[in-house]
Amino acid sequence: MFSNAITQRSWLQRIGKSGGWVTLVIWLLLTVFAVAMVYPFLWLVFGSFKTSSDILAQPIQLLPREWTLSGFRLIWNQSGLPRAYVNSMVVSGLIVFSTLLTSSLGGYVFARLQFPGRQLLFYFILSTTMVPFVTLLIPLYIVMLDLGLLNTYAALWIPAGVSSFGIFLCRQFIIGIPQELYEAAKVDGASDFRIYMEIILPLIRPVLSALAIFSFLGSFNSYLWPLVVLNDENLYTLPLILVQVSTTMGVTNYQGVMAGSLLASIPTLLVYVIFQRNFVKGIALSGIKG
Amino acid sequence: MSAISIRKVQSARSRSHAARNVSTMGVVVALFLIAYYALVFIVPFYRAIWLSFQNWDFIVDPIYVGMRNYDHVIHDDYFWQAAKVTLVFSVAEISIALICAFGVALGIHQLPHVLQRFYLGLFYIPVVVPGIVSILLWRWLYLPGDGVINGVLSRFGLPVQPFLNSTSQALWCIIAMVVWANLGGAAIIFFAGINEISIDLLEAAKLDGAGLWRQTINIIIPLLRPIFFYQVVVSVIGTVQMFEQFYLLSGPGFSTRTLAVYTYELGFKTLNLGYGATVSIFIFLFLLAATVIQVQRFMTKQS
Repeated sequence: MFSNAITQRSWLQRIGKSGGWVTLVIWLLLTVFAVAMVYPFLWLVFGSFKTSSDILAQPIQLLPREWTLSGFRLIWNQSGLPRAYVNSMVVSGLIVFSTLLTSSLGGYVFARLQFPGRQLLFYFILSTTMVPFVTLLIPLYIVMLDLGLLNTYAALWIPAGVSSFGIFLCRQFIIGIPQELYEAAKVDGASDFRIYMEIILPLIRPVLSALAIFSFLGSFNSYLWPLVVLNDENLYTLPLILVQVSTTMGVTNYQGVMAGSLLASIPTLLVYVIFQRNFVKGIALSGIKG
Repeated sequence: MSAISIRKVQSARSRSHAARNVSTMGVVVALFLIAYYALVFIVPFYRAIWLSFQNWDFIVDPIYVGMRNYDHVIHDDYFWQAAKVTLVFSVAEISIALICAFGVALGIHQLPHVLQRFYLGLFYIPVVVPGIVSILLWRWLYLPGDGVINGVLSRFGLPVQPFLNSTSQALWCIIAMVVWANLGGAAIIFFAGINEISIDLLEAAKLDGAGLWRQTINIIIPLLRPIFFYQVVVSVIGTVQMFEQFYLLSGPGFSTRTLAVYTYELGFKTLNLGYGATVSIFIFLFLLAATVIQVQRFMTKQS
Protein backbone atom coordinates (compact mmCIF):
# COMPACT_ATOMS: atom_id res chain seq x y z
CA MET A 1 0.00 0.00 0.00
CA PHE A 2 2.74 2.43 0.93
CA SER A 3 6.18 1.78 -0.59
CA ASN A 4 7.48 -1.78 -0.65
CA ALA A 5 7.04 -4.78 1.54
CA ILE A 6 10.37 -4.57 3.30
CA THR A 7 9.82 -1.14 4.76
CA GLN A 8 6.27 -2.13 5.52
CA ARG A 9 7.23 -4.98 7.76
CA SER A 10 6.46 -4.12 11.32
CA TRP A 11 9.55 -2.62 12.87
CA LEU A 12 8.83 -4.38 16.10
CA GLN A 13 9.20 -7.72 14.37
CA ARG A 14 12.49 -6.64 12.89
CA ILE A 15 13.75 -5.23 16.14
CA GLY A 16 13.27 -8.39 18.10
CA LYS A 17 11.10 -11.44 18.51
CA SER A 18 10.71 -10.81 22.22
CA GLY A 19 7.70 -8.58 21.58
CA GLY A 20 5.44 -11.43 20.44
CA TRP A 21 3.01 -11.25 23.34
CA VAL A 22 2.89 -7.46 23.07
CA THR A 23 1.73 -7.84 19.48
CA LEU A 24 -0.90 -10.30 20.61
CA VAL A 25 -2.30 -7.96 23.25
CA ILE A 26 -2.30 -5.07 20.78
CA TRP A 27 -4.09 -7.23 18.25
CA LEU A 28 -6.72 -8.17 20.78
CA LEU A 29 -7.30 -4.56 21.86
CA LEU A 30 -7.51 -3.39 18.26
CA THR A 31 -10.01 -6.11 17.45
CA VAL A 32 -12.30 -5.13 20.32
CA PHE A 33 -12.05 -1.47 19.32
CA ALA A 34 -12.63 -2.25 15.63
CA VAL A 35 -15.76 -4.28 16.44
CA ALA A 36 -17.12 -1.34 18.45
CA MET A 37 -16.37 0.97 15.50
CA VAL A 38 -18.02 -1.25 12.90
CA TYR A 39 -21.00 -2.32 15.03
CA PRO A 40 -23.12 0.84 14.47
CA PHE A 41 -22.66 0.50 10.74
CA LEU A 42 -23.61 -3.18 10.77
CA TRP A 43 -26.62 -2.22 12.82
CA LEU A 44 -27.67 0.11 10.00
CA VAL A 45 -27.10 -2.54 7.33
CA PHE A 46 -29.07 -5.27 9.10
CA GLY A 47 -31.62 -2.79 10.46
CA SER A 48 -32.63 -1.98 6.89
CA PHE A 49 -33.90 -5.55 6.54
CA LYS A 50 -35.87 -5.49 9.81
CA THR A 51 -39.47 -4.55 10.48
CA SER A 52 -40.01 -1.37 12.51
CA SER A 53 -41.08 -3.28 15.61
CA ASP A 54 -38.07 -5.57 15.28
CA ILE A 55 -35.76 -2.53 15.22
CA LEU A 56 -37.05 -1.38 18.61
CA ALA A 57 -37.56 -4.85 20.12
CA GLN A 58 -35.77 -5.74 23.36
CA PRO A 59 -33.41 -7.38 23.93
CA ILE A 60 -31.61 -5.81 20.99
CA GLN A 61 -30.39 -8.15 18.32
CA LEU A 62 -28.09 -7.35 15.42
CA LEU A 63 -29.59 -9.74 12.88
CA PRO A 64 -33.23 -9.39 11.83
CA ARG A 65 -35.64 -11.80 13.52
CA GLU A 66 -37.49 -11.81 10.23
CA TRP A 67 -35.92 -10.55 6.99
CA THR A 68 -37.99 -8.08 4.98
CA LEU A 69 -37.59 -5.65 2.10
CA SER A 70 -40.60 -3.58 3.09
CA GLY A 71 -38.38 -0.74 4.31
CA PHE A 72 -36.83 -0.38 0.87
CA ARG A 73 -40.22 -0.58 -0.85
CA LEU A 74 -41.64 2.05 1.48
CA ILE A 75 -38.81 4.55 1.04
CA TRP A 76 -38.53 4.05 -2.70
CA ASN A 77 -42.24 4.40 -3.44
CA GLN A 78 -43.44 6.86 -0.83
CA SER A 79 -40.74 9.49 -0.55
CA GLY A 80 -38.74 11.86 -2.69
CA LEU A 81 -35.69 9.63 -2.37
CA PRO A 82 -35.37 8.57 -6.04
CA ARG A 83 -35.62 12.17 -7.14
CA ALA A 84 -33.12 13.25 -4.49
CA TYR A 85 -30.73 10.59 -5.74
CA VAL A 86 -30.77 12.17 -9.20
CA ASN A 87 -30.35 15.67 -7.74
CA SER A 88 -27.41 14.63 -5.60
CA MET A 89 -25.70 12.87 -8.48
CA VAL A 90 -26.15 15.77 -10.90
CA VAL A 91 -24.98 18.39 -8.42
CA SER A 92 -22.02 16.33 -7.21
CA GLY A 93 -21.05 15.57 -10.81
CA LEU A 94 -21.04 19.25 -11.71
CA ILE A 95 -19.09 20.16 -8.60
CA VAL A 96 -16.45 17.45 -9.11
CA PHE A 97 -15.99 18.37 -12.77
CA SER A 98 -15.56 22.09 -12.19
CA THR A 99 -13.36 21.57 -9.13
CA LEU A 100 -10.99 19.38 -11.14
CA LEU A 101 -10.99 21.89 -14.00
CA THR A 102 -10.33 24.99 -11.89
CA SER A 103 -7.81 23.21 -9.63
CA SER A 104 -5.73 21.80 -12.47
CA LEU A 105 -5.82 25.04 -14.46
CA GLY A 106 -5.05 27.14 -11.39
CA GLY A 107 -2.35 24.75 -10.22
CA TYR A 108 -0.73 24.84 -13.67
CA VAL A 109 -0.68 28.59 -14.15
CA PHE A 110 0.58 29.23 -10.62
CA ALA A 111 3.29 26.60 -10.92
CA ARG A 112 4.58 27.22 -14.44
CA LEU A 113 3.31 30.31 -16.24
CA GLN A 114 4.38 33.93 -15.95
CA PHE A 115 1.90 36.73 -15.52
CA PRO A 116 1.76 39.88 -13.44
CA GLY A 117 0.47 39.43 -9.89
CA ARG A 118 1.00 35.68 -9.88
CA GLN A 119 2.37 35.42 -6.35
CA LEU A 120 -0.15 37.87 -4.99
CA LEU A 121 -3.11 36.02 -6.47
CA PHE A 122 -1.82 32.68 -5.27
CA TYR A 123 -1.37 33.90 -1.70
CA PHE A 124 -4.78 35.50 -1.84
CA ILE A 125 -6.35 32.18 -2.86
CA LEU A 126 -4.46 30.37 -0.09
CA SER A 127 -5.62 32.93 2.47
CA THR A 128 -9.29 32.36 1.61
CA THR A 129 -9.05 28.95 3.30
CA MET A 130 -8.77 30.85 6.58
CA VAL A 131 -12.32 32.14 6.30
CA PRO A 132 -14.83 29.55 7.50
CA PHE A 133 -17.90 28.84 5.41
CA VAL A 134 -20.27 29.97 8.18
CA THR A 135 -18.86 33.48 7.87
CA LEU A 136 -19.88 33.52 4.22
CA LEU A 137 -23.20 31.75 4.80
CA ILE A 138 -25.53 34.73 5.20
CA PRO A 139 -23.91 37.04 2.59
CA LEU A 140 -23.51 34.20 0.07
CA TYR A 141 -27.21 33.51 0.47
CA ILE A 142 -27.89 37.18 -0.28
CA VAL A 143 -25.66 37.02 -3.38
CA MET A 144 -27.61 33.99 -4.63
CA LEU A 145 -30.85 35.79 -3.87
CA ASP A 146 -29.71 38.88 -5.80
CA LEU A 147 -28.72 36.73 -8.77
CA GLY A 148 -32.08 34.97 -8.67
CA LEU A 149 -30.41 31.60 -8.23
CA LEU A 150 -32.23 30.32 -5.13
CA ASN A 151 -33.85 26.94 -5.79
CA THR A 152 -31.57 26.07 -8.70
CA TYR A 153 -28.80 23.55 -9.24
CA ALA A 154 -26.52 26.52 -9.90
CA ALA A 155 -26.91 27.74 -6.31
CA LEU A 156 -25.59 24.41 -5.06
CA TRP A 157 -22.95 24.13 -7.73
CA ILE A 158 -21.28 27.55 -8.07
CA PRO A 159 -19.98 28.12 -4.50
CA ALA A 160 -18.48 24.62 -4.41
CA GLY A 161 -17.09 24.65 -7.95
CA VAL A 162 -13.70 26.00 -6.99
CA SER A 163 -11.40 24.74 -4.25
CA SER A 164 -8.48 26.73 -2.86
CA PHE A 165 -7.12 23.56 -1.36
CA GLY A 166 -7.39 21.85 -4.76
CA ILE A 167 -5.50 24.65 -6.51
CA PHE A 168 -2.80 24.48 -3.84
CA LEU A 169 -2.54 20.70 -4.07
CA CYS A 170 -2.24 20.75 -7.88
CA ARG A 171 0.33 23.55 -7.80
CA GLN A 172 2.51 21.63 -5.35
CA PHE A 173 2.26 18.54 -7.49
CA ILE A 174 3.01 20.34 -10.77
CA ILE A 175 6.03 22.13 -9.27
CA GLY A 176 7.41 18.66 -8.62
CA ILE A 177 7.27 17.76 -12.32
CA PRO A 178 10.74 18.26 -13.88
CA GLN A 179 11.10 21.68 -15.47
CA GLU A 180 12.98 20.12 -18.42
CA LEU A 181 9.84 18.37 -19.58
CA TYR A 182 8.09 21.70 -19.82
CA GLU A 183 11.07 23.44 -21.47
CA ALA A 184 11.44 20.68 -24.05
CA ALA A 185 7.80 20.94 -25.06
CA LYS A 186 8.19 24.71 -25.21
CA VAL A 187 11.19 24.41 -27.54
CA ASP A 188 9.17 22.11 -29.76
CA GLY A 189 6.71 24.97 -30.12
CA ALA A 190 3.89 23.61 -27.97
CA SER A 191 1.52 26.25 -26.64
CA ASP A 192 0.87 26.60 -22.90
CA PHE A 193 -2.56 25.15 -23.35
CA ARG A 194 -1.27 22.14 -25.28
CA ILE A 195 1.30 21.49 -22.59
CA TYR A 196 -1.51 21.58 -20.04
CA MET A 197 -3.65 19.16 -22.02
CA GLU A 198 -0.98 16.72 -23.16
CA ILE A 199 1.70 16.78 -20.48
CA ILE A 200 0.37 18.18 -17.25
CA LEU A 201 -3.09 16.59 -17.12
CA PRO A 202 -1.91 13.00 -17.66
CA LEU A 203 0.87 13.45 -15.11
CA ILE A 204 -1.31 14.81 -12.32
CA ARG A 205 -3.95 12.08 -12.58
CA PRO A 206 -3.22 10.67 -9.10
CA VAL A 207 -3.74 14.00 -7.39
CA LEU A 208 -6.83 14.69 -9.49
CA SER A 209 -8.44 11.39 -8.58
CA ALA A 210 -7.80 12.02 -4.90
CA LEU A 211 -9.26 15.49 -5.29
CA ALA A 212 -12.26 14.07 -7.15
CA ILE A 213 -13.02 11.72 -4.28
CA PHE A 214 -12.74 14.47 -1.65
CA SER A 215 -14.86 16.77 -3.70
CA PHE A 216 -17.49 14.10 -4.37
CA LEU A 217 -17.74 13.10 -0.73
CA GLY A 218 -17.87 16.74 0.34
CA SER A 219 -20.64 17.75 -2.04
CA PHE A 220 -22.59 14.53 -1.60
CA ASN A 221 -22.64 15.03 2.19
CA SER A 222 -23.28 18.74 2.19
CA TYR A 223 -26.30 19.68 4.32
CA LEU A 224 -26.17 23.28 5.53
CA TRP A 225 -25.85 25.06 2.19
CA PRO A 226 -28.61 23.09 0.40
CA LEU A 227 -30.79 23.61 3.49
CA VAL A 228 -30.36 27.36 3.11
CA VAL A 229 -30.78 27.80 -0.66
CA LEU A 230 -33.45 25.17 -1.39
CA ASN A 231 -37.05 25.05 -0.39
CA ASP A 232 -38.36 23.38 -3.53
CA GLU A 233 -38.62 19.73 -2.51
CA ASN A 234 -38.10 18.62 -6.10
CA LEU A 235 -34.52 19.86 -5.86
CA TYR A 236 -33.76 18.34 -2.44
CA THR A 237 -30.51 16.44 -2.23
CA LEU A 238 -30.18 13.15 -0.34
CA PRO A 239 -29.22 14.59 3.06
CA LEU A 240 -32.19 16.95 3.00
CA ILE A 241 -34.66 14.27 1.97
CA LEU A 242 -33.34 11.86 4.59
CA VAL A 243 -33.85 14.37 7.37
CA GLN A 244 -37.29 15.21 6.03
CA VAL A 245 -38.25 11.55 5.83
CA SER A 246 -36.93 10.86 9.30
CA THR A 247 -39.25 13.50 10.74
CA THR A 248 -42.34 12.75 8.65
CA MET A 249 -42.15 8.96 8.76
CA GLY A 250 -41.09 9.02 12.38
CA VAL A 251 -41.20 6.22 14.87
CA THR A 252 -43.61 3.91 13.12
CA ASN A 253 -41.55 3.74 9.95
CA TYR A 254 -38.04 3.30 11.26
CA GLN A 255 -37.49 0.58 8.70
CA GLY A 256 -38.09 3.02 5.84
CA VAL A 257 -35.70 5.63 7.21
CA MET A 258 -33.08 3.00 7.87
CA ALA A 259 -33.39 1.49 4.39
CA GLY A 260 -33.19 5.01 2.95
CA SER A 261 -30.04 5.72 4.96
CA LEU A 262 -28.43 2.59 3.63
CA LEU A 263 -29.40 3.46 0.05
CA ALA A 264 -27.98 6.96 0.52
CA SER A 265 -24.68 5.49 1.75
CA ILE A 266 -24.16 3.29 -1.30
CA PRO A 267 -22.56 5.91 -3.61
CA THR A 268 -19.93 6.98 -1.07
CA LEU A 269 -19.24 3.37 -0.09
CA LEU A 270 -18.85 2.47 -3.78
CA VAL A 271 -16.53 5.41 -4.41
CA TYR A 272 -14.45 4.25 -1.48
CA VAL A 273 -14.29 0.62 -2.59
CA ILE A 274 -13.54 1.41 -6.24
CA PHE A 275 -10.98 4.13 -5.62
CA GLN A 276 -9.56 2.70 -2.43
CA ARG A 277 -5.98 2.82 -3.68
CA ASN A 278 -6.19 6.45 -4.71
CA PHE A 279 -8.18 7.22 -1.63
CA VAL A 280 -5.51 6.09 0.77
CA LYS A 281 -2.83 7.76 -1.33
CA GLY A 282 -4.85 10.91 -1.55
CA ILE A 283 -5.40 11.08 2.16
CA ALA A 284 -1.73 10.51 2.82
CA LEU A 285 -0.91 13.16 0.22
CA SER A 286 -3.23 15.75 1.65
CA GLY A 287 -2.32 14.92 5.21
CA ILE A 288 1.41 15.08 4.92
CA LYS A 289 2.22 17.29 2.00
CA GLY A 290 -0.78 19.56 2.58
CA MET B 1 32.42 48.91 -12.33
CA SER B 2 32.27 46.21 -14.94
CA ALA B 3 30.65 43.83 -12.47
CA ILE B 4 27.88 46.32 -11.85
CA SER B 5 27.26 46.93 -15.52
CA ILE B 6 27.13 43.20 -16.19
CA ARG B 7 24.61 42.80 -13.41
CA LYS B 8 22.61 45.67 -14.85
CA VAL B 9 22.60 44.09 -18.29
CA GLN B 10 21.61 40.77 -16.77
CA SER B 11 18.74 42.18 -14.77
CA ALA B 12 17.55 44.19 -17.76
CA ARG B 13 17.72 41.07 -19.90
CA SER B 14 15.84 38.97 -17.37
CA ARG B 15 13.23 41.68 -17.06
CA SER B 16 12.66 41.81 -20.79
CA HIS B 17 12.74 38.01 -20.76
CA ALA B 18 9.98 37.95 -18.17
CA ALA B 19 8.00 40.59 -20.04
CA ARG B 20 8.22 38.63 -23.26
CA ASN B 21 7.12 35.50 -21.44
CA VAL B 22 3.86 36.79 -20.00
CA SER B 23 1.60 33.90 -20.81
CA THR B 24 -1.76 34.63 -22.39
CA MET B 25 -3.17 31.47 -20.87
CA GLY B 26 -1.85 32.55 -17.46
CA VAL B 27 -3.59 35.90 -17.76
CA VAL B 28 -6.87 34.37 -18.94
CA VAL B 29 -6.97 31.77 -16.15
CA ALA B 30 -5.98 34.39 -13.58
CA LEU B 31 -8.76 36.72 -14.70
CA PHE B 32 -11.25 33.86 -14.61
CA LEU B 33 -10.18 32.91 -11.09
CA ILE B 34 -10.40 36.52 -9.95
CA ALA B 35 -13.94 36.75 -11.31
CA TYR B 36 -14.91 33.45 -9.71
CA TYR B 37 -13.45 34.36 -6.32
CA ALA B 38 -15.11 37.75 -6.54
CA LEU B 39 -18.47 36.01 -6.83
CA VAL B 40 -18.05 33.31 -4.20
CA PHE B 41 -15.60 34.94 -1.81
CA ILE B 42 -14.72 38.63 -2.16
CA VAL B 43 -18.25 39.98 -2.50
CA PRO B 44 -19.72 37.74 0.24
CA PHE B 45 -16.83 38.46 2.59
CA TYR B 46 -17.14 42.17 2.00
CA ARG B 47 -20.90 41.95 2.54
CA ALA B 48 -20.40 40.01 5.76
CA ILE B 49 -18.34 42.89 7.10
CA TRP B 50 -20.80 45.45 5.73
CA LEU B 51 -23.76 43.56 7.22
CA SER B 52 -22.15 43.53 10.64
CA PHE B 53 -22.66 47.32 10.79
CA GLN B 54 -26.30 47.08 9.75
CA ASN B 55 -29.58 46.09 11.22
CA TRP B 56 -31.54 44.08 8.67
CA ASP B 57 -34.51 41.75 8.88
CA PHE B 58 -34.99 41.19 5.11
CA ILE B 59 -38.24 43.15 5.19
CA VAL B 60 -37.35 46.77 5.87
CA ASP B 61 -34.19 48.24 4.25
CA PRO B 62 -30.93 47.81 6.18
CA ILE B 63 -30.19 50.50 8.77
CA TYR B 64 -26.63 51.52 9.64
CA VAL B 65 -26.09 50.95 13.36
CA GLY B 66 -22.34 51.51 13.72
CA MET B 67 -20.65 49.28 16.27
CA ARG B 68 -23.87 48.34 18.04
CA ASN B 69 -23.83 44.72 16.81
CA TYR B 70 -20.29 44.28 18.07
CA ASP B 71 -21.25 45.78 21.38
CA HIS B 72 -24.17 43.34 21.59
CA VAL B 73 -21.91 40.35 20.99
CA ILE B 74 -19.69 41.28 23.92
CA HIS B 75 -22.70 41.43 26.25
CA ASP B 76 -24.66 38.55 24.72
CA ASP B 77 -24.87 35.60 27.12
CA TYR B 78 -26.19 33.35 24.34
CA PHE B 79 -23.12 34.15 22.28
CA TRP B 80 -20.70 33.26 25.08
CA GLN B 81 -22.71 30.14 25.90
CA ALA B 82 -22.39 29.07 22.23
CA ALA B 83 -18.69 29.98 22.24
CA LYS B 84 -18.18 27.81 25.32
CA VAL B 85 -19.97 24.85 23.73
CA THR B 86 -17.89 25.27 20.56
CA LEU B 87 -14.65 25.44 22.54
CA VAL B 88 -15.43 22.42 24.74
CA PHE B 89 -16.51 20.45 21.71
CA SER B 90 -13.42 21.31 19.63
CA VAL B 91 -10.90 20.67 22.38
CA ALA B 92 -12.51 17.43 23.52
CA GLU B 93 -13.25 16.02 20.08
CA ILE B 94 -9.80 16.83 18.67
CA SER B 95 -7.84 15.52 21.66
CA ILE B 96 -9.83 12.30 21.92
CA ALA B 97 -9.90 11.65 18.17
CA LEU B 98 -6.20 12.34 17.61
CA ILE B 99 -4.99 10.38 20.63
CA CYS B 100 -7.17 7.39 19.70
CA ALA B 101 -6.18 7.65 16.03
CA PHE B 102 -2.49 7.76 16.92
CA GLY B 103 -2.90 4.76 19.22
CA VAL B 104 -4.76 2.84 16.54
CA ALA B 105 -2.13 3.70 13.90
CA LEU B 106 0.67 2.65 16.25
CA GLY B 107 -1.17 -0.57 17.07
CA ILE B 108 -1.93 -1.43 13.46
CA HIS B 109 1.71 -0.84 12.64
CA GLN B 110 2.64 -3.66 15.03
CA LEU B 111 0.38 -6.13 13.27
CA PRO B 112 1.63 -8.49 10.59
CA HIS B 113 1.64 -6.80 7.22
CA VAL B 114 -1.25 -8.84 5.79
CA LEU B 115 -3.59 -7.61 8.52
CA GLN B 116 -2.67 -3.93 8.41
CA ARG B 117 -4.77 -2.96 5.45
CA PHE B 118 -7.79 -4.91 6.70
CA TYR B 119 -7.73 -3.21 10.09
CA LEU B 120 -7.22 0.25 8.58
CA GLY B 121 -10.24 -0.49 6.38
CA LEU B 122 -12.38 -1.42 9.40
CA PHE B 123 -11.54 1.81 11.20
CA TYR B 124 -12.18 3.73 8.01
CA ILE B 125 -15.75 2.50 7.45
CA PRO B 126 -17.40 5.23 9.61
CA VAL B 127 -15.57 7.91 7.62
CA VAL B 128 -17.26 6.72 4.44
CA VAL B 129 -20.75 6.71 5.92
CA PRO B 130 -22.38 10.00 4.83
CA GLY B 131 -22.53 12.55 7.63
CA ILE B 132 -26.30 12.77 7.68
CA VAL B 133 -26.62 8.98 7.83
CA SER B 134 -24.31 8.74 10.80
CA ILE B 135 -26.32 11.44 12.55
CA LEU B 136 -29.59 9.58 12.00
CA LEU B 137 -27.92 6.32 12.96
CA TRP B 138 -26.59 7.68 16.24
CA ARG B 139 -29.91 9.28 17.00
CA TRP B 140 -31.37 5.77 17.03
CA LEU B 141 -28.47 4.38 18.99
CA TYR B 142 -28.93 7.10 21.62
CA LEU B 143 -32.72 6.72 21.97
CA PRO B 144 -33.42 7.13 25.68
CA GLY B 145 -35.97 4.33 26.01
CA ASP B 146 -35.16 1.44 23.74
CA GLY B 147 -32.06 2.63 21.90
CA VAL B 148 -29.28 0.21 21.09
CA ILE B 149 -26.76 1.63 23.55
CA ASN B 150 -29.27 1.50 26.40
CA GLY B 151 -30.10 -2.03 25.31
CA VAL B 152 -26.45 -2.98 25.66
CA LEU B 153 -26.18 -1.16 29.00
CA SER B 154 -29.20 -2.90 30.49
CA ARG B 155 -27.95 -6.25 29.25
CA PHE B 156 -24.87 -5.69 31.42
CA GLY B 157 -27.09 -4.59 34.31
CA LEU B 158 -26.07 -0.94 34.02
CA PRO B 159 -28.54 1.93 34.53
CA VAL B 160 -30.26 3.30 31.43
CA GLN B 161 -29.07 6.78 30.38
CA PRO B 162 -31.02 9.76 28.98
CA PHE B 163 -28.20 10.65 26.51
CA LEU B 164 -29.41 13.38 24.14
CA ASN B 165 -32.24 14.31 26.51
CA SER B 166 -29.81 15.32 29.20
CA THR B 167 -28.20 18.75 29.44
CA SER B 168 -24.98 17.29 30.80
CA GLN B 169 -24.70 14.30 28.44
CA ALA B 170 -25.90 15.63 25.08
CA LEU B 171 -22.68 17.40 24.07
CA TRP B 172 -20.59 14.36 25.00
CA CYS B 173 -22.88 12.15 22.92
CA ILE B 174 -22.15 14.34 19.90
CA ILE B 175 -18.44 14.29 20.69
CA ALA B 176 -18.51 10.49 20.76
CA MET B 177 -20.31 10.36 17.43
CA VAL B 178 -17.90 12.76 15.73
CA VAL B 179 -14.88 10.92 17.14
CA TRP B 180 -16.38 7.72 15.73
CA ALA B 181 -16.82 9.38 12.34
CA ASN B 182 -13.38 11.02 12.15
CA LEU B 183 -11.00 8.61 13.84
CA GLY B 184 -10.30 6.47 10.76
CA GLY B 185 -9.18 9.37 8.59
CA ALA B 186 -6.63 10.59 11.12
CA ALA B 187 -5.48 7.00 11.77
CA ILE B 188 -4.57 6.50 8.10
CA ILE B 189 -2.53 9.71 8.05
CA PHE B 190 -0.67 8.74 11.23
CA PHE B 191 -0.12 5.24 9.88
CA ALA B 192 1.39 6.61 6.68
CA GLY B 193 3.61 8.86 8.79
CA ILE B 194 4.83 6.03 11.02
CA ASN B 195 5.54 3.96 7.92
CA GLU B 196 7.85 6.63 6.60
CA ILE B 197 10.06 6.56 9.68
CA SER B 198 13.28 4.77 8.83
CA ILE B 199 13.62 1.33 10.35
CA ASP B 200 17.34 1.90 10.90
CA LEU B 201 16.56 4.74 13.25
CA LEU B 202 14.28 2.56 15.36
CA GLU B 203 16.69 -0.35 15.28
CA ALA B 204 19.47 1.91 16.47
CA ALA B 205 17.23 3.03 19.32
CA LYS B 206 16.49 -0.60 20.13
CA LEU B 207 20.21 -1.38 20.25
CA ASP B 208 20.60 1.48 22.70
CA GLY B 209 18.02 -0.26 24.89
CA ALA B 210 14.95 1.78 24.12
CA GLY B 211 11.70 -0.16 24.48
CA LEU B 212 8.52 0.34 22.50
CA TRP B 213 7.36 3.07 24.90
CA ARG B 214 10.64 5.02 24.75
CA GLN B 215 10.74 4.70 20.97
CA THR B 216 7.24 6.09 20.71
CA ILE B 217 7.94 8.99 23.04
CA ASN B 218 11.44 9.85 21.88
CA ILE B 219 11.37 9.05 18.17
CA ILE B 220 7.92 8.53 16.69
CA ILE B 221 6.05 11.41 18.34
CA PRO B 222 8.76 14.03 17.67
CA LEU B 223 9.07 12.90 14.05
CA LEU B 224 5.31 13.02 13.56
CA ARG B 225 5.01 16.50 15.03
CA PRO B 226 4.31 18.11 11.62
CA ILE B 227 1.45 15.64 11.09
CA PHE B 228 0.00 16.32 14.54
CA PHE B 229 0.27 20.02 13.85
CA TYR B 230 -1.45 19.76 10.48
CA GLN B 231 -4.17 17.53 11.92
CA VAL B 232 -4.90 19.89 14.78
CA VAL B 233 -5.08 22.96 12.53
CA VAL B 234 -7.39 21.25 10.05
CA SER B 235 -9.55 19.74 12.81
CA VAL B 236 -9.98 23.08 14.57
CA ILE B 237 -11.26 24.64 11.35
CA GLY B 238 -13.44 21.57 10.71
CA THR B 239 -14.99 21.27 14.16
CA VAL B 240 -15.78 24.97 14.51
CA GLN B 241 -17.69 24.83 11.22
CA MET B 242 -19.71 21.71 12.03
CA PHE B 243 -23.40 22.34 11.86
CA GLU B 244 -25.81 19.47 11.26
CA GLN B 245 -24.40 17.39 14.12
CA PHE B 246 -25.63 20.02 16.58
CA TYR B 247 -28.64 21.09 14.61
CA LEU B 248 -30.09 17.59 14.30
CA LEU B 249 -28.86 15.99 17.53
CA SER B 250 -29.58 19.05 19.62
CA GLY B 251 -29.72 18.50 23.37
CA PRO B 252 -32.10 20.34 25.70
CA GLY B 253 -31.97 24.13 25.87
CA PHE B 254 -28.71 25.61 24.66
CA SER B 255 -26.53 22.73 25.84
CA THR B 256 -25.35 21.87 22.33
CA ARG B 257 -25.84 25.13 20.46
CA THR B 258 -22.54 26.12 18.85
CA LEU B 259 -21.58 29.40 17.22
CA ALA B 260 -22.27 27.94 13.77
CA VAL B 261 -25.82 26.94 14.78
CA TYR B 262 -26.32 30.31 16.46
CA THR B 263 -25.29 32.08 13.24
CA TYR B 264 -27.72 29.98 11.22
CA GLU B 265 -30.57 30.65 13.62
CA LEU B 266 -29.91 34.39 13.66
CA GLY B 267 -29.69 34.53 9.88
CA PHE B 268 -32.47 32.22 8.81
CA LYS B 269 -34.78 31.69 11.79
CA THR B 270 -35.02 35.02 13.60
CA LEU B 271 -33.97 36.97 10.47
CA ASN B 272 -31.47 39.08 12.33
CA LEU B 273 -29.02 39.21 9.44
CA GLY B 274 -26.76 42.00 10.67
CA TYR B 275 -26.26 40.40 14.05
CA GLY B 276 -25.84 36.95 12.50
CA ALA B 277 -23.09 38.31 10.26
CA THR B 278 -21.40 39.87 13.30
CA VAL B 279 -21.41 36.55 15.16
CA SER B 280 -19.98 34.83 12.09
CA ILE B 281 -17.19 37.41 11.91
CA PHE B 282 -16.31 36.57 15.50
CA ILE B 283 -16.08 32.91 14.46
CA PHE B 284 -13.62 33.95 11.76
CA LEU B 285 -11.57 36.01 14.22
CA PHE B 286 -11.48 33.18 16.77
CA LEU B 287 -10.30 30.74 14.10
CA LEU B 288 -7.70 33.16 12.84
CA ALA B 289 -6.35 33.68 16.36
CA ALA B 290 -6.33 29.93 17.06
CA THR B 291 -4.46 29.22 13.83
CA VAL B 292 -1.90 31.98 14.32
CA ILE B 293 -1.19 30.77 17.86
CA GLN B 294 -0.80 27.18 16.69
CA VAL B 295 1.52 28.12 13.82
CA GLN B 296 3.65 30.22 16.14
CA ARG B 297 3.91 27.49 18.74
CA PHE B 298 4.77 24.98 16.04
CA MET B 299 7.46 27.23 14.58
CA THR B 300 9.15 27.89 17.92
CA LYS B 301 9.10 24.20 18.82
CA GLN B 302 10.53 23.23 15.43
CA SER B 303 13.45 25.65 15.78
